[in-house]
Amino acid sequence: MAAKKRRKRRNAAGQGQDDVQMTAMIDVVFQLLVYFIVTLQPEDVITHLDVFRPSPEKQQEQTQTPPKMIRIQIYPDGITINDKYVTIPDLDRLLDKLAAIDTKQSIMIMCTAQSNHEDLVRVLDLCAKSDLTNLSVISTN
Amino acid sequence: MTPMIDVVFQLIIFFVTTIELEKAAIDESIRLAMAPHGAPVEQKDPREVVIDVDNSGRISVARNYMNEAFLRNQLRKVVAEHGQTTPVVIRGDIKTKHEDIRKVMDACSFAGLWKVKFSAVQDPAKPR
Repeated sequence: MAAKKRRKRRNAAGQGQDDVQMTAMIDVVFQLLVYFIVTLQPEDVITHLDVFRPSPEKQQEQTQTPPKMIRIQIYPDGITINDKYVTIPDLDRLLDKLAAIDTKQSIMIMCTAQSNHEDLVRVLDLCAKSDLTNLSVISTN
Repeated sequence: MTPMIDVVFQLIIFFVTTIELEKAAIDESIRLAMAPHGAPVEQKDPREVVIDVDNSGRISVARNYMNEAFLRNQLRKVVAEHGQTTPVVIRGDIKTKHEDIRKVMDACSFAGLWKVKFSAVQDPAKPR
């Protein structure tokens, strides 16, 4: 009788060893969840604005000299289009009109050394808005 | 249960570590200009070279500051290894002068790299 009882107790202890301690694990998982939620930083959505740079290939150099070209110049104190000072909304309107005629129109963006990079990105963004893709960036003094 | 939990924890550790590595390669102090009409970046070329130019004109790649001559040499090595079609992404601060961006563009032209892109923020993260 006593031996039977001892066997039963041993069996119960053996089954207990196989069980996973769920409570502690859930605690840890929740701690991890809270940690990740607190430390998670929302990220900016990044865009890449493409431009044409002089290509080393001869064939491409030839195709990059179109007859008509729109010149946008970026100065530290403002932006000109074909040597005429314009505001950003005016430039936006002009580029929209241009895109309505031909989105393959070549646009040469000329930046002066002291101009801010922000202005160049703004002009490239307006071109992207109007679906103008044939853009060249040139640096001037 | 136990092996599965082990695997899950291993995965968590892997992702946490790799995310940190990717973040460490970018200069977080650079404030990118806004370009709400640009297309969001969906596919990344694994060969892509990201060049940071901070507001004082310092050039860096993966947080390693370098001068123009060193950058040229590095870009030439990139061309030798991956070809002239390797895209270059310039991350310029909003206050960076164009003359500093020009140095990077000239270095790209010198190395024969012509796929130049400017990085900008299409949609800023919402403050929590």
